[in-house]
Amino acid sequence: MSTEVGSVPADTAVIAFADGLPGFEHQRRFVLLSGPSFEPFTILRGLGPDAPSFATIDPRTIVPEYAPHVSPQDLARLDAAPGDTLVWLAIVSLDASGEATANLRAPVVVSPASLRGVQLIDINAAAGPDAPAAQYRFDHPLRAA
Amino acid sequence: MLVVSRKLDESIVIGDGIEIKVLRVGREGVRLGITAAPHVSVHRGEIYNAIRRANESAAAPDTSVESLVARLRASQKKH
Repeated sequence: MSTEVGSVPADTAVIAFADGLPGFEHQRRFVLLSGPSFEPFTILRGLGPDAPSFATIDPRTIVPEYAPHVSPQDLARLDAAPGDTLVWLAIVSLDASGEATANLRAPVVVSPASLRGVQLIDINAAAGPDAPAAQYRFDHPLRAA
Repeated sequence: MLVVSRKLDESIVIGDGIEIKVLRVGREGVRLGITAAPHVSVHRGEIYNAIRRANESAAAPDTSVESLVARLRASQKKH
């Protein structure tokens, strides 16, 4: 982790996302930036030209009991074992009206040990004919923090 | 797009080790069984696309992410 935003120190740990993130599948390398100037947020910064960056927050600062299931497949992709320490990040967005929301349905998870990351996508999440994708809401109001 | 007709219990194989089998065909839809290595991510298209859209709207160019965080912090203080 680092406290810088404009540049990344050489010793900053690079997190590998084997599949990128949905919408940015080719962006495989990120760093996580933190510091007092942007608490409680952190920045998930893509490495490389024109790489995207995301404002993120620990979802447990919004919902203290937050504990989504991590499937064995996701643990394998993280090269982690059950019980390993994981870093949880909810991607935060700000709409045109200034409303900040956090995506609690598809959190980013990072294994500090393996430095691998994935965005969890629950294949059993409500969707389909009985619950169309439009009802798959993940824009949790951030003011609940 | 490759289009293939399959019947109940028939499958298709994709690449090295991905198999998709038709388990049930009904009026409500088709139930598929997918066999793949653990590192292969499998998602329902509508969910994946919804998250893709959310990520795209949340992404900021690196040059503006610091101002985004500043606006988010200001947004927090309003509440």
